[in-house]
Amino acid sequence: MQMVKKSLFIAVILWFSILAFIPKAELYYSIEKKLQAQDVKLNEKSIEEGLFSLTLKDVTVHVKGIAIANIEEIKFFSVLFYSTLEIHNLQTDESLHTQVPALMKDANFVHTITSPLSISIDANGSFGLINGEIGIKDKKIHIDFIETKDMNMLKPMLTKNKKGWFYEKSF
Amino acid sequence: MKNLFKPEMIKSLLSLLVLLLMVKLLWFVIQVLWLSAVDIDQEKDQESKALYYRVKLTPNQAAAPKVIKPKVVAKVQGSIKELTLLGIYNDDDVSVVTVMYKKNTKVLGIGDEVNGFVLDGAGQNFAMFSKNTKHYKILLAKNGKSVATSEREEPKREPKPYNKNKAPLGEVTETGGVRIIDRSLLEHYAENMDDIYKNVGISEVKNGKDLDGFKINFVRKDSPFAKLGIRRNDMIKSINGQEIKSYNAAFAIYKNIKNVENLSLIITRNKEEMELEYEIN
Repeated sequence: MQMVKKSLFIAVILWFSILAFIPKAELYYSIEKKLQAQDVKLNEKSIEEGLFSLTLKDVTVHVKGIAIANIEEIKFFSVLFYSTLEIHNLQTDESLHTQVPALMKDANFVHTITSPLSISIDANGSFGLINGEIGIKDKKIHIDFIETKDMNMLKPMLTKNKKGWFYEKSF
Repeated sequence: MKNLFKPEMIKSLLSLLVLLLMVKLLWFVIQVLWLSAVDIDQEKDQESKALYYRVKLTPNQAAAPKVIKPKVVAKVQGSIKELTLLGIYNDDDVSVVTVMYKKNTKVLGIGDEVNGFVLDGAGQNFAMFSKNTKHYKILLAKNGKSVATSEREEPKREPKPYNKNKAPLGEVTETGGVRIIDRSLLEHYAENMDDIYKNVGISEVKNGKDLDGFKINFVRKDSPFAKLGIRRNDMIKSINGQEIKSYNAAFAIYKNIKNVENLSLIITRNKEEMELEYEIN
């Protein structure tokens, strides 16, 4: 029993030390490098490393050199069996408002060990309120529009059923 | 306290520290071998200015803009169909139309009124009138008859143009070899980016990693873009003296297009460089 306790203790320490010692900023730079290949660049004012989290503040998103959106805060948190990505106050460039919503106030992406093959999405903004799921195994995105506001520009991409508008795409 | 200094306890603590050190070392090796240590940021474009500025020497931009005093429209229960548009004269700073009303010919300037309808403006083959909150478009008469083609109710003095998200009101005209772009046309395309791509196909041209310009893949016939004189396979090199060497430069021009006074494009056509000039009215 003592041996089991000791092994468990070592496993827990090992688990958390692996997560705590991840070079998070460098991992983020590597993701930036991958995004650069897609002509996407993120300019952030500050990067804050937590024990299990990474927070980016005042992020400007550039696509092909064009600043298309500003994000007040992006926060990534992970203990592997529970991971979240929070996006706060995403504002798109004024010239794109006829094509995309002007504001996404909050968006949360959550992955838990209880549902390992999907990532749940919740968001609200000028378009209304949405929730949905990204299927990792079936490679499918499904988003339901719970409350709709200014979303006319999105309608060409959406489908309507009895429950309301939804977006579905395979990737 | 005694327990803390037990050799077993110290050994356990040391083992723990070694474990942590091993994990840290492992991550360090991964970091050095595979992870990027440099933050990639979008460099700011240098605020370069055009090498030259076009100066309008023609007196088409009068020093003091003509103030059109809103005239009190008499309450006449007339119909737009009683008006026949006989002629249009469009100059750079003045538009005059000739209409037939009750067998009388009248010459109207912008702001003038006939049968309760006030002349708002004129295009190449049409005139726009308004009465109360409604707008009317009359096409130039053919065989002695003109047609009132539209009748729209204007929203109550909203800041946005009433033709938003609809077909652009203005057009590109040519007077004395000078192409004139109606400002409302620019405003329409500035607010409806989708409409640009319906009329003209544009793709990037790269020279290695650098952007060399934008190539015209197609221009829809009868669209305002066709009237600009641009053709398929033309390559746009610069706009208003600003070289288009990045998407950001192109987008900056697009964002400011509503405010430009003149427009000039440097294009290459069949390996020859040429300049297309336009005036905005």
